[in-house]
Amino acid sequence: MLKQLDRADIDHLLDSLHTAYRLQIPQQLPDGTRHLSPYTPTSVLSLSGEIVHRKPTSFFFPQVQKLVSIDPTGHARDLQKVEKPLALFGLNRADLMGIQFLDRFFLAAPADDIYLSLRQDALLIGLTGFSGPDKSFLPLSTGNCDIELVALAGHWLALGHSTIGKKLLDPYARGLNSELEELRQRDENSSGDLELLQQASHLLMNDLVPDSFWAEIAGRCILCSGCNMVCPTCSCFCVQDRCFEETTERSRVWDSCQFDAFMREASGHNPLGTEALRTRRRIHHKLAADIERWGEPGCVACGRCDRSCPTGIGMMAVAGEIVKRYGAGRR
Amino acid sequence: MNTTLTTCPYCGTGCNFYLLHDDIGQLTGLEPAANHPVTRGQLCVKGWNAHAFVGHPDRLQTPLIRKNGQLQPTDWQTALDLLHDKLRTIATRQGPDSLMFLSSAKVSNEENYLLMKLARAGYGTNNIDHCARLCHSSTVTGLVETLGSGAMTNSLSCFAETDLIFVIGSNTTEQHPLIGSRILQAVQQGAQLIVADSRRIRLSQHADLHLRHQNGSDIALLNGMMRHISQEGLEDRTFITQRTENFSALQQALEPFTPEYVATITGLSSQQIMDAARLFAEADRAMIVYAMGITQHSHGVDNVRAVSNLALLTGNLGRPGTGINPLRGQNNVQGACDMGALPDVYTGYQRVADPQIREKFSAAWGVPLPETPGQMSTHAIEAAAAGKLCGMLVLGENPVVSDANQTLVYQAFEKLDFLAVIDIFMTETAQLADLVLPAACYAERDGTFTSTERRVQRGRKAVEPPGQARADWQIIAELLRRCGLKGDYTDPAEIMNEIASLTPSYGGIEYSRLEGEGLQWPCSDNTDPGTPILHTRTCTRGKGHFSPVTYRPPQEMPDLEFPLLLNTGRTAFHWHTGSMTRRSHLLDREERQAFVEINPTDAEKYQLAERQQLKVTSRRGSVSVRARLTERVPPGQVFIPFHFAESAANVLTNNALDPESGIPEFKVCAVRIEAC
Ligand code: SF4
Ligand code: SF4
Repeated sequence: MLKQLDRADIDHLLDSLHTAYRLQIPQQLPDGTRHLSPYTPTSVLSLSGEIVHRKPTSFFFPQVQKLVSIDPTGHARDLQKVEKPLALFGLNRADLMGIQFLDRFFLAAPADDIYLSLRQDALLIGLTGFSGPDKSFLPLSTGNCDIELVALAGHWLALGHSTIGKKLLDPYARGLNSELEELRQRDENSSGDLELLQQASHLLMNDLVPDSFWAEIAGRCILCSGCNMVCPTCSCFCVQDRCFEETTERSRVWDSCQFDAFMREASGHNPLGTEALRTRRRIHHKLAADIERWGEPGCVACGRCDRSCPTGIGMMAVAGEIVKRYGAGRR
Repeated sequence: MNTTLTTCPYCGTGCNFYLLHDDIGQLTGLEPAANHPVTRGQLCVKGWNAHAFVGHPDRLQTPLIRKNGQLQPTDWQTALDLLHDKLRTIATRQGPDSLMFLSSAKVSNEENYLLMKLARAGYGTNNIDHCARLCHSSTVTGLVETLGSGAMTNSLSCFAETDLIFVIGSNTTEQHPLIGSRILQAVQQGAQLIVADSRRIRLSQHADLHLRHQNGSDIALLNGMMRHISQEGLEDRTFITQRTENFSALQQALEPFTPEYVATITGLSSQQIMDAARLFAEADRAMIVYAMGITQHSHGVDNVRAVSNLALLTGNLGRPGTGINPLRGQNNVQGACDMGALPDVYTGYQRVADPQIREKFSAAWGVPLPETPGQMSTHAIEAAAAGKLCGMLVLGENPVVSDANQTLVYQAFEKLDFLAVIDIFMTETAQLADLVLPAACYAERDGTFTSTERRVQRGRKAVEPPGQARADWQIIAELLRRCGLKGDYTDPAEIMNEIASLTPSYGGIEYSRLEGEGLQWPCSDNTDPGTPILHTRTCTRGKGHFSPVTYRPPQEMPDLEFPLLLNTGRTAFHWHTGSMTRRSHLLDREERQAFVEINPTDAEKYQLAERQQLKVTSRRGSVSVRARLTERVPPGQVFIPFHFAESAANVLTNNALDPESGIPEFKVCAVRIEAC
């Protein structure tokens, strides 16, 4: 049943969640960076603005994640137990798609148990509607969260998409279906980015983008790896072992396909030995290979790589360039 | 997940990020600051990996004293007592000037200030210096003479407001990546780009003009450009008349530098020189960007003078989108200089030789202060090797790998009676020490850093240091106390208040004002918003001074016996002597070992193959490195990065010093190459 929350109800909902969950809510860090930070009763909740800067998938798959710790006798020590499940509040449509994408990767049998341990009881709360920068409109989710709050002018419509989500919304007042319907109409007209990706993807899959294009784009890459670091669907990691006096620790660390060593073989040979090949791969993987493998692109159009790329060759910029140069009349 | 905003520990760009740490005090990654004016949500690869070395198992955790030839654990009290006792005894017996203090561009302003205070007020010597000697000492000497201030004149935001950028001797996308990216963005927006660099660096692919002049021929190139600008009447007459002095001397000095003559020295065509001159002079707003390619020469100061002359000649000073922009390498090399970790100045470049200044510091610190300026670090190494120095305290530097002519550096350290090193890892230098003290790293202590654009910013403590390691300021404060000086600082903020009270250019710097974007010095009082652009109405010294220079070749050029020119520098993935980046998994994986870049033509000539292990020999020694065949270097030149201690490029380099700045000629020496 559709519900409706006012500002006090949101506080009430958060307050009721934070005892059972490690609740993270969007807050402004000192320089204004919008970040999912731990909830405390005095936290200042940010209910609209840019997409949270740190990708929410990092709660389940962080930049550095301990996998195993081995004691001097060669036995594995228990890793720190997760005490309470996570609850992430304030996820937009792209972020929810990102989590869904990563779930499929890590949870396909056999499931990655470290990811699973963090993810299985986690609660996801979407925030869509008029909650973008300057309260601009953000499209509704596809229902892949427990609760979705849809921001309107002074109140929020609340949808319980899962059993637990519905239960948590029980205490609140009924919302108006007509209001939701109006937003859904609007929703369908607001997917310009996804369309651009589709066009670029079509060109890539039909091999209509020449190598010279990739050489040119790669010439602007300064190899920072930021595009991979911020991408919510990037799942590549490398493994790092560290020997301390008492323990040996194995962790996984976010990797980047822009690195030369990402594919370099022990002999020194590298099948992706040029920046042009690696840049091509970064885009091709998301817009062609993922479609072939999963039936949908690996880019959820969150915009993070475009923001973090120091030289302006994030996904949307490159897709735009591809469509502009090779798209006319080719579809 | 907890977040702590701090400043990047690597280059001088001054990016800010949030260290992310869990409840048990371990770092789990970092996130760029989205709204910080320099960072804007972006970092380079070193920035993205800046958390990685912090919790490394190799971190030093206890003080170590050498006993029976071995470094053995001890407690802080014993270590500090011994350190003080040794330094005090040497100062008493052999004289204070037989001590040398090496400070660090990796520690905070407060720590640099305390160490220079310790050297001067505690042990009575001006023998204090740090690695700016190896990077921008030429800049400080040159620009202080011509403009009155050795700092970058403009701000990073100026890259968005310029018509032309002239990059000479800076591989910006690799060494200051987030400045390099601003240059690339400016080019995308229509700015023109001239790159003068013998190597085919990334920027050169985007340049309107790439000048691959012979290493060490910068003065010829710049003088040639200036002569042509004057000949064509493209100089800025109004600026020259109103804002400069000594123009006629410049004109005279330029006379011999005809395009044809310059072509013979630089290896460029005379047309290229004339094109560069015209392109540069016709831009309304042009920025000159330079780094080690200009400074690290036996004529480094003259190179800087030539750069300054070019900016003055064309009126590219004191306005947005112009200026002389020497890019500082380390995150606090600007600050370490500002704090007077230099042999001839106190904080804010106040001269030791000036009796009034000396009196001011003496009154503030409550002790008489030594009058004669101290030794430069490069001279100190020579003095130590000659047995003329007895004790040295090294804070966070690794001269064994970073200084020119490693054999000499080893000799120097072996001859010392006493060597103490404060560091976070057991560096090659620490391995030689009699006493090693474990320090907190950037993520474990508070302090301020001053970036290349003179932006004073906070570094903040996110996690506890490992074991017994302590913040450098706490270690130095203990020594100050033992010297009978004030040592009970409660925090770095209190130290900054002391700095501000003694330093006009930092007069308005206080911690409460640094919470946002930091402040760009000069910042004279607590209402001063700081200074993004220097020399706007007049230069710091009054008139801009033309300081004519003439070309002299590097000290050691290739010959029959050593036919190749060796250029040294860094890669994008490693930092200096590698103590941090080689312990960062992804960075280490990217570049694991030393290599030598060789042009395929030379490889053919000497019959060398890709990835072959080679022996490179100069007059000073040999190292073994792996061949990397590439067009990046021109024929006749090879390039070796200096990060790798096991094949240290500085075994080969020439410690020929600039007579004024004491900087070694890292960019040019002669080598030969053979198969191992
Ligand atoms: S963010 Fe941009 S510059 Fe950095 S690795 Fe990715 S494409 Fe290259
Ligand atoms: S550009 Fe410099 S300051 Fe910025 S992240 Fe990279 S190393 Fe750090």
